[in-house]
Amino acid sequence: MTETDHARYLYLIANTGEEKSLGDIGLGDRSVYTIVFQDIAAVVHASKSEPVPAKSEEQAEQWILNHNYVIDKATENFNTVLPFSFGCLARGDDEAIKRWLQKNYILYKRELERLKNSAEYSIQIFYDPEVLEKQVLKTIPELKEIDQKMKTMPKGKAYIFKKKFELGLKQAVSDHLASMGKEFDKLIKENAIQTIVEEKISYVPEKYAGKKVMVAFSCLVAKDNVERLGQSLETINKKEGLAVRFTGPWAPFNFVDLGNIENDA
Amino acid sequence: MPIRIDEKNLKKGVLGLVVALVEIITELLEKQAILRIENESLNDEEIERLGEALADLNEALETIKTDNNIEDTVESVRCGLDEVVDDVVDKLMNPSRWAKEVEKHDRNRPCEIPLLDS
Repeated sequence: MTETDHARYLYLIANTGEEKSLGDIGLGDRSVYTIVFQDIAAVVHASKSEPVPAKSEEQAEQWILNHNYVIDKATENFNTVLPFSFGCLARGDDEAIKRWLQKNYILYKRELERLKNSAEYSIQIFYDPEVLEKQVLKTIPELKEIDQKMKTMPKGKAYIFKKKFELGLKQAVSDHLASMGKEFDKLIKENAIQTIVEEKISYVPEKYAGKKVMVAFSCLVAKDNVERLGQSLETINKKEGLAVRFTGPWAPFNFVDLGNIENDA
Repeated sequence: MPIRIDEKNLKKGVLGLVVALVEIITELLEKQAILRIENESLNDEEIERLGEALADLNEALETIKTDNNIEDTVESVRCGLDEVVDDVVDKLMNPSRWAKEVEKHDRNRPCEIPLLDS
């Protein structure tokens, strides 16, 4: 910490009353430590009060990974944490942070208690379009009939009927996916405290290349239920044409509800 | 959501956009043709003529895409358009969910927490 470090970069709020250094693991190898108020603490590093922009996209990426690394380490140490998004800078010294924790203590403590013994998990269910199309085709005789008839049609008519076949198959696959999605949604909700359907997936590992996403969830799961959820997902994973990616535990980024702090404080 | 067009090659990008739009219009025409066949408002000869015209158009579009190496650009434009349409439809169908999402997003942005009152 230097004399010009008039701000604190915030990583998270933890359920701990322990003053502790986590080492030089912060952004730019800054020293990360806890600022405690009663039995909660902000995990921070001392910083200059003006944000420093990243010099390149790679550096920004590295900083984000670094931010998440600190959150992972703190989760290992303190179990329950309320993580902050990347880039949250508070102007003020340790005393200012302590006063801020005091001001919002009830709110943060309540949220830490609510999230105690639970963690966020990510579930992505993929399907192989070719396998599903074959499965669906077996169940719809009208489509099979069109498929057969097309072979003897003249070029123009065959083209239109091919399109009809493709549209019918697409709709049937979509209906099948929706029905399976509802079933899986129920199965997952039975074992999760909260679920959020993820509209977009930013990263799909190479292993799932060629497959499409059926549905993706972020789930808040109680530690006691993780194994049961894993078993339910394994039954889905074993179905032909489907694959499940189950990752976690993560800090509960998607489930922290800080409400309106100004009103609560 | 911006539509992604290859900025390094504007010509390729514009051509990709045009082809993507023609593809979408062609698909609408195909759906219309199927509806008319199902309503029995076309005879065999008309179906054949319409089918051939649509098949030729499809072939021409494929040739343009291959010759100009714009398959990826067209795909990218179509994905972008799909996302825009999905987003608009979702907002129209679920205005309350949209409002909730905006509210939650605003509330949970820690950078906006007025903690610096000291």
